[in-house]
Amino acid sequence: MTLTDAAVAVQISFTYFTIIYLTGLGGLFSERSGIVNIGLEGLMIIGAVTGAFGARYFTDTLEMGQPWGPLLGLLFGAFCGMLFAGVHAVATISFRVDHIVSGVVINLVAVGLARFLSQAFFGQATQSDPGGPHLPDLDIPLLSSLPGGLDRAFEGLSPFVVVAALMVIPVWYTLNRLRWGLRLRSCGENPEAARSLGIRVSLYRYQGVLLSGAFAGASGAFLASEVIGNWREGQTLNLGFIALAALILSNWNPIRLMFFAWLFGFAVAIPLRLNDAPVINLLPPQFIRMIPYVVTIVAIAGFVGKVRPPAAAGKAYEGGGSL
Amino acid sequence: MAAAGSAIAPAAGSGVRSDRLERFVGQALALLLSMVIALALGSILIVGYGENPIEVYSAILDGSVGSVDGIGYVLSIATPLIFSALAVAVCFKGGMFNIGVEGQYFVGMVTASWAALELDFLPAPLFVLAVLVAGMLGGMAWAAIAGILKVKTGAHEVVTTIMLNGIAISLLAWAINFPLKFANAPPGQNVDLRTDVFSDKVRVGDIGQYFGVTPGAHLSWLLFVAIGTAMLVWFLLRRTRVGFEARAVGSSPGSAKAGGVSIGATQIRLFLISGALAGMVGMQQILADKGYLGAAYITLLGFTGIAVAFLGQNNPIGIIFAAILWGILSRGEVALQIGTDVPREFIIILQGILILSVVITYQIAKRRLAARQLQRSGAAGALEDSTAFDERLESTGSQDAEEAARPSDGGGPG
Repeated sequence: MTLTDAAVAVQISFTYFTIIYLTGLGGLFSERSGIVNIGLEGLMIIGAVTGAFGARYFTDTLEMGQPWGPLLGLLFGAFCGMLFAGVHAVATISFRVDHIVSGVVINLVAVGLARFLSQAFFGQATQSDPGGPHLPDLDIPLLSSLPGGLDRAFEGLSPFVVVAALMVIPVWYTLNRLRWGLRLRSCGENPEAARSLGIRVSLYRYQGVLLSGAFAGASGAFLASEVIGNWREGQTLNLGFIALAALILSNWNPIRLMFFAWLFGFAVAIPLRLNDAPVINLLPPQFIRMIPYVVTIVAIAGFVGKVRPPAAAGKAYEGGGSL
Repeated sequence: MAAAGSAIAPAAGSGVRSDRLERFVGQALALLLSMVIALALGSILIVGYGENPIEVYSAILDGSVGSVDGIGYVLSIATPLIFSALAVAVCFKGGMFNIGVEGQYFVGMVTASWAALELDFLPAPLFVLAVLVAGMLGGMAWAAIAGILKVKTGAHEVVTTIMLNGIAISLLAWAINFPLKFANAPPGQNVDLRTDVFSDKVRVGDIGQYFGVTPGAHLSWLLFVAIGTAMLVWFLLRRTRVGFEARAVGSSPGSAKAGGVSIGATQIRLFLISGALAGMVGMQQILADKGYLGAAYITLLGFTGIAVAFLGQNNPIGIIFAAILWGILSRGEVALQIGTDVPREFIIILQGILILSVVITYQIAKRRLAARQLQRSGAAGALEDSTAFDERLESTGSQDAEEAARPSDGGGPG
């Protein structure tokens, strides 16, 4: 292992950070509004297949070229993720179906729906042609001129990596300073009180769930178009569940979520790049992949310090949730 | 939700029977309605493809149950789904949501494969039994983690089982990469990672030959094991102390505790049973079909089992029929591909619509029923009955004792 390998692993971790963080933010909006969403993986899948289609359609068929084609493709993925999240919203909010039940159904249906859409979009059920259009890579100024191979960590990144990292500011501000965000959170913390203040709880919850679809859809579209270059069945690799894990560990906090999203992103990157690094080479790569899940179980069981969600986060599920 | 038999018979004797009947009729109607909705929405899609819905639906039926071979395929598809749905239903009855069947059956396949490779010295019938037991123990061990963590630390089973699913995938990958990786690469072909082929002694018998079903369907006597297991689970839940305690904990943890039932012990017991059932899910695949353990990443048998459990409304006997229905639809894909312009992926959409409408109509039916029973008990002036009502209303599963005592999820749309 060289310093360059480590730098490349960090570069890959930024990419996975983006996927996990965007999806995690989706879960954050939904769960902060009081609707548990374990359907993030399914929403990502729909975002991936529609995003891959959108990128091609806008770039090649409509000849929009760079950067509008890939950008609109991503937005299309986000939009379709949002539509699909609408199913979860209707089921859980209007029909009061158990949140977990609906989330499971979302994940299950997404796999089939993705094949269906893929057949319609690409004429084949499980993948699209590789090498789809994506935004030009970005070298981070200054950091990408570091010496000793460290520059590799900051080269050739998708611009969306930067966008995702900066997303923490508007999200934090919205949830903590804007009236809309405070109201959304009140719906998750204490819906009865929110309602007594004249807040339309179901309206805010709809918005929360739809936002979760938009974020998870964008994340899936990013994965398919920007990272892999095409849609392929199974490419989400349970990252939606890893995002859920990061969200739980962060105590539903967008700033702490950044840290855990990056940490788990790095855990995903290790087996890809750092197999022969000291210590790591003692473990089979499959064990490294278990890390995010093991950490989450240990944390949720309360074995390490006080990492169980605090009272407020627990209450976020009160309005009919079951976590 | 969908904890169908919440009836820990309330003391008020006379009303019980009609309540039960009413609930049964309500469930049946909900199921029927959701099927009609699914078929209707499916028809719209079919018309969109320029085909005649009736022709397409009869093509699906014809391609699945229209021939002996077809029936063989359908039952073969249904076999693992019965185990998987039973595993989900057992936990549901106790008010818990085991969405970890997927991971539990992966681990069960790993332990069963280990047994199939290592215990070759046993005589044939004992060998098969040992392999099945190994699979069940694997599933049990994996489920036990979630059960024990829930009882000892309060970690919610939904979160832990999701995480355990993630771990199990890597565990299976590790097993076929290292300890169980094939020693003799199969000659002449470039194959995926997998174990060696198991000895013929441990392959479960093909029963299709006795009914004229093609060997390609891999119809095995595991089907009878599955059906027998379903009956056993029905008996366990309906007629034994374990089942009674399970339903008591599931429908009203507070009163179960007051009645002397140990909630923790019941929950762990249910998780162990559920895990054992989950351990059987993969046996059809590795013992009847493939004869080795390979990378089986996107089978989703565990999650599909959840759908089948909903469809069978968590009733073990209902689950048998639900699994067969699922099998009919799945097998119908092939007929669609050959006979019509509708793409085969239509089936998956139809299954999705079906399961969504089942979940939603069932939820509506449950609320209606609860409202009616509340109204009736109110009219009779029998306020004592309100506890029984709460139990029914709150038989939503997956809640902790204290949470389950809340009468409604306030703050929903007014």
